[in-house]
Amino acid sequence: MAISLSKGQKVDLTKTNPGLTKVVVGLGWDTNKYDGGSDFDLDASVFSANGAGKVNSEKDFIFYNNPQNENGSIVHTGDNRTGEGDGDDEQIKIDLASVPANVEKIAFCITIHDADSRGQNFGQVSNAYVRIVNEANDQELIRFDLGEDFSVETAVVVGELYRHNGEWKFNAIGSGYRDGLGGLCRDYGLSIA
Amino acid sequence: MAISLVKGQKIDLTKSNAGLTNLIVGLGWDPVEVTKKGLFGFKKKAEMNIDCDASALLLDANGKLTDGKNLVCFYNKQSPCSSVVHSGDNLTGEGDGDDEQIFVDLNKVPANVHKILMVVNIYQCESRGQDFGMIKQAFIRVVNRANDQELVRFNLSDDYSGKTALIVAEIYRHNGEWKFNAIGEGTHAAHIDLLAAQYK
Repeated sequence: MAISLSKGQKVDLTKTNPGLTKVVVGLGWDTNKYDGGSDFDLDASVFSANGAGKVNSEKDFIFYNNPQNENGSIVHTGDNRTGEGDGDDEQIKIDLASVPANVEKIAFCITIHDADSRGQNFGQVSNAYVRIVNEANDQELIRFDLGEDFSVETAVVVGELYRHNGEWKFNAIGSGYRDGLGGLCRDYGLSIA
Repeated sequence: MAISLVKGQKIDLTKSNAGLTNLIVGLGWDPVEVTKKGLFGFKKKAEMNIDCDASALLLDANGKLTDGKNLVCFYNKQSPCSSVVHSGDNLTGEGDGDDEQIFVDLNKVPANVHKILMVVNIYQCESRGQDFGMIKQAFIRVVNRANDQELVRFNLSDDYSGKTALIVAEIYRHNGEWKFNAIGEGTHAAHIDLLAAQYK
């Protein structure tokens, strides 16, 4: 039985699940579409950051154009352009044992592609969630449903895995930002346009 | 002081206004001015004659219109439960203030109705060749009927050219309270019945 988290909650991951090394982080969402509106394209991305909360290199920003980090311990399985259907819309596979030692936290984000030009924001997104599954046995360990907290935001940091006393924990962050993926990149120390 | 919302924003209605039950949902719009050639070649500015209609759809938990009578519009002015009442059709959209008003008694809304969707469409848009690019200053506001206090207001500022109906906003249940969602999406429905059919 998965643990359902509320915003701000932190839980042990490896401590309570001994032997856990490979996890699948699944992110899902639904969008409210109207026949006159543009299609929604939501993207999951990952920032693998050091103790200062910054990425060590561009390869540590894992997204649709850079599907894995330098040593392949964090892998994005691919872009889903429509968000249709039940279950995870996008997934990230992580081998916790192989994550480089200089990575202290792995943050998971959902952003809306071309949000400004399409006039879209998280007010039109419902049932967004993140869940962490043990890849070895498909068991869901943690689930965080984002609820109704977001409206005008175009990017959400859903949660992060972080090191704590030699173990990995998960923090249900649920913070929204108004300046999309570009704004998140700047926050994590990337200078992209 | 009313709270001004932007598209996508959701806000508590009953939680932050204890005792709120009777609402006036006011919708307004103005036709854009066009330059017409008048008599003897004089140019004059005139407002186009556009007949917008506001309607409310009472939807269930799955967003479905389970009873056709739950479409409250100019030809069906009251829901069977009498919780939602349309005050009447305005044919021109002229003048300040609300062009059409819909009264909602939250206490009377049946338990199986989870959201009340507020829409505006253009009557006979196809034969008249009209769309929401020809409408300016469209808004929706929610007023507490008990004291005439305006609670929320949402001005629709997107470009709705080519759209013949607007999904303006919804009043919906959330954790035992009623909230307001500023939707502001345009659609291509040519008639209120066609729009309602999308929810059946």
